[in-house]
Order: sequence, then C-alpha cells, then structure tokens
Amino acid sequence: MIILDQISKNFPGANRPAVDRMSLRVNQGNICVFVGPSGCGKTTILRMVNRLEEPDSGRISIDGKDIQDVNPDHLRRSIGYVIQQIGLLPHRTIEQNVSLVPELLGWSREKTRQRVMDLLTMVGLEPDEVSLKYPHQLSGGQMQRVGVARAMAADPPIMLMDEPFGAVDPIVRIRLQDEFLRLQQQFKKTICFVTHDINEAIKMGDYLVIMNQGRLVQTGTPIDVLTSPADKFVLDLLGDDRGVKILDLTRSETLMEPVNESDGFMHNGCRIQAIQPVKIALEIMMQKNADQVGVYRGDELVGMLAWNSIKEHISRISGGVRS
Amino acid sequence: MNFDLEIFMHTLLHRSPPYLLEHVQLVLIPLSAAILISLPAGIILTRPGYFRFSGKVMAFFNAGQTIPPLAIIAIFFPLLGLGYGPAILALTIYALLPIARNTIAAISSVPAEVKDAARGMGMTQWEVLLKVELPLSVPTIMSGIRTSAVLTVSTAVLAALVGGKGMGAVIFAGINFFRPELILAGTILIGIMALILERLISLGEWLMTPKHLK
Repeated sequence: MIILDQISKNFPGANRPAVDRMSLRVNQGNICVFVGPSGCGKTTILRMVNRLEEPDSGRISIDGKDIQDVNPDHLRRSIGYVIQQIGLLPHRTIEQNVSLVPELLGWSREKTRQRVMDLLTMVGLEPDEVSLKYPHQLSGGQMQRVGVARAMAADPPIMLMDEPFGAVDPIVRIRLQDEFLRLQQQFKKTICFVTHDINEAIKMGDYLVIMNQGRLVQTGTPIDVLTSPADKFVLDLLGDDRGVKILDLTRSETLMEPVNESDGFMHNGCRIQAIQPVKIALEIMMQKNADQVGVYRGDELVGMLAWNSIKEHISRISGGVRS
Repeated sequence: MNFDLEIFMHTLLHRSPPYLLEHVQLVLIPLSAAILISLPAGIILTRPGYFRFSGKVMAFFNAGQTIPPLAIIAIFFPLLGLGYGPAILALTIYALLPIARNTIAAISSVPAEVKDAARGMGMTQWEVLLKVELPLSVPTIMSGIRTSAVLTVSTAVLAALVGGKGMGAVIFAGINFFRPELILAGTILIGIMALILERLISLGEWLMTPKHLK
C-alpha cells in the first residue's frame, strides 16, 4: 500500500506548484491510474514515489515505511519502473537489459538467466529470437514489452508505469494493454499508472485519480467517476460518449428485468451472458434489429434486457449532470 | 635552389631519427597530460551540479581552438620563457581543447531517457557513469583524442622556435639554410608519424566502441 500525505512539489521557475498538497492511498494489488492533461503533475507524482524527485513537503510511505528512510538506490531496485521512451540501454543486448536489476541485486548468473528467459516468454517474446539482439533491432512494440519485462525482473511488489503504451500504434497498444491486464490478474502488483488517455485510464484502472494543474480533482473507480463526475473539467475529460462508456462498464444483469418463459418471451436467438457488458447487448440488438435480449447465466435464462431500460438508465445517470 | 637527393636521403635516414624521437615525446607527453586533465574535467562538467557551467566552459574551449598554434606558443613565451618545458606546457594546453569538448559533447548526448531509466532501475550515479554514460561516449571521446593527437603532431613542429627541439629543428634549419631537402625530409616524417598515430587511435576506438554501433 502506498500512501501520499499532503505532497507538494515546486519546480524552480514555474508559476504554480507541479503538485499541490496531494493526499492519496493506493491499495495493494490495485492499478491506480493518474489521468489528466499534460503538465498536471501526474508524472511528477510517479517520480516522487521512487525518489527520482523529492517532494518539497509531505510524506510518502510504502507499506507503512517512510521512503525518506530508505536508500533511494535500494528503493528503486524494489520498484518496477516503465517509461514511455522505454530507455533500454542501447549498448546492451535484450538479455543484459532485462538482467539489469537482478545484476544490481547480486543474483547468481544462472538464476538471472533463467528469470530473463521466463520473463521474455511471459511478455510474449521469443527468448531465443530476441535475447541476443540489441534494442535498435526490435520494433517499438517489442521494445515496450522488453521495458515491461525489465521492470518486472526482480519481481517487485510495486510498479510505476508512465504512459507505458504511449509510443506504439493503436492496434499494438490495445494488445499490450490486454496482455498486461492478463499478467496483472496473475501477479496482482500494486501499480501506479500514468496516462493522458481517458479511455486507457478507464480500461486499465481499478481506481482513477483525476488531476489538473497539480491538484487532485476526483478519485474513484471508473464507474463512479463516469456516473458522477465532480465538475465540468472531469465531464470534459470523460468525453461526449460518457453514456456509452458507462454501458461498457455495466454488467447486463444490473439492468435486466425478470422474465417468465411461460409468458412467451421470445428473444429470437438474441442472448447474452449476465456478466457481459450492456454495450454488447446493445450491439446484439442493433445487429438483429431487436428491442430486447435474453440474459443468461450459463444456459439458464435469468432475465431480459430491453432497449428502453438501457435508454432510461443512461438518461437517468447522465441526463441529470450539471454541465 | 637545387635538390640534392643524397642530402635528402641522409637527412631522412640518419640525421632525423633522434629529432623524430624527441618529436614523439613532444606529442605523447602533452597528449597524455591532456587526456588526464580533459577527461575528468569533461566528466565533472557533465555532472548535474556542474552542468550549468559547461556552456561557458565549452564556449571558452571553442574560442581556444580558433587561436592559431603559433599564437599559442607566442602567447606563452613571455610567461614561460623558452625551452622544452614551456613547449610541452603550451602543447598540453592546446591539446586539451578537442578532448574536453568531445567528452562534454559525448556525455551530454547520452539520451536523457536512458539515464532516467538507468537511475529508475536503481543504478547509483557511479554505475550510471561507468556502465551507461562512458561506454556510450567512447566513440566521440576517442575521436576527440584523435583530433588532438594529429593537431599536436603538427603543432609540435613550432616547439623548435622556442628551443623545444623536435622535428621542427630539422625543418627550420632547412628554411634558414635554404635546404629543401631538410624541409621535405622533416615534413614527410611528420606526415608518416601523424598517419601512424591516427591509425593506432582509430584501432583503439574501434576496439572500445560498443558492439551495437559497429
């Protein structure tokens, strides 16, 4: 668990603090996404957690221990760090790049080598193919995978990721996001993730921290933020398709109505699983030109979801917002 | 002025070698001293705390490079007088510039994100310098040393003017006594020496260059 307590940071020459009295808690095993426009202080926050920057005031503690009491180099070895520009060492092979932290920690050569091979496989690379190559011989997507592998090398409980998928094309980005979420399900790291892309934030985040001009504007789960944005800034950040985004995060079962099969309810082959998002139900209705779908849990019909109730739900949530 | 092949060959093969040896000293001593001074200076000036001075120092070094070698000797003449020692000192100062300049340029051109990632992985300042910045800077630093070496070989000729010995003695004797044989023999030997030195340093440069750049 990472706790930020009244953190402020001024850079010389700036007319306002880069970070202004931020307090925040990042829970164990969560992906906490810092999102906001450039210059909002999200990267500075991240760099204060591994002490690449020092706050002017306030305390940061990790698992109850003040990070000021830890040697910064040792601290950084225990925290994974991924940046958008990746920053692989150009004069070292992929294998040497990934072994960087294990080497600093003094692991044996055999253990390091085994770990590197496992990691490369884990992030979807072919160890035999890439391990002896140099960074400039890889594609952008491959380099970013190596960046993630390097950060995870010593199995740090905490990872800091600064726009880790920002430099790759949209198709590769989506694949990397999906793969990373799958890894996260398995490893349950505590992750601070910085992005300026609200869609990425909603997709990746267990918890969102919305920032503007060094201040914390709103925190909450993606669905909390989407359904009750705190102010106009958050509303604008969420975009014009807020309702559709909500449908993507709402399970079909939450909006379904009870159904009795003997009533002759016909779903015309339109069926959806209860845990699938409403957005998928909508897609099915549009494809089949239907007004309702049957909601199933496994093979059992548990309810039905009607076009009208979706409309009403969205209108109720997003219609009543101050804008 | 007629050209006497016998005098030329005699100068080239029998008269010059002792002067050539002196000349080698006149090059290697200032060059080594310049490396020992410039390299640490360049490294210090690229450390975060001192980096703000590096612009000014670089400007100074660049200005220093525009002064002709003869002028350097002339400038130091009133201060240091004549002789071997002052010549060595003047040559050292002249050789400092390309090495320091290239060292600073090379280390500052290591991509910021590479250094940032290295720090973020938990490398100490020293480890970043020794394992990241210096290896990536080797080619540029070595080419600075090469420039300095070749420059010193030709500038060292002027040492003879202030009594500093070297091949310059042969060449200036040729000028004074109107003997083109001496001038040509001296020039050829200096040219060969410059070439050999340049090749040797290039070889060293190639050996020390990180593999990914080859």
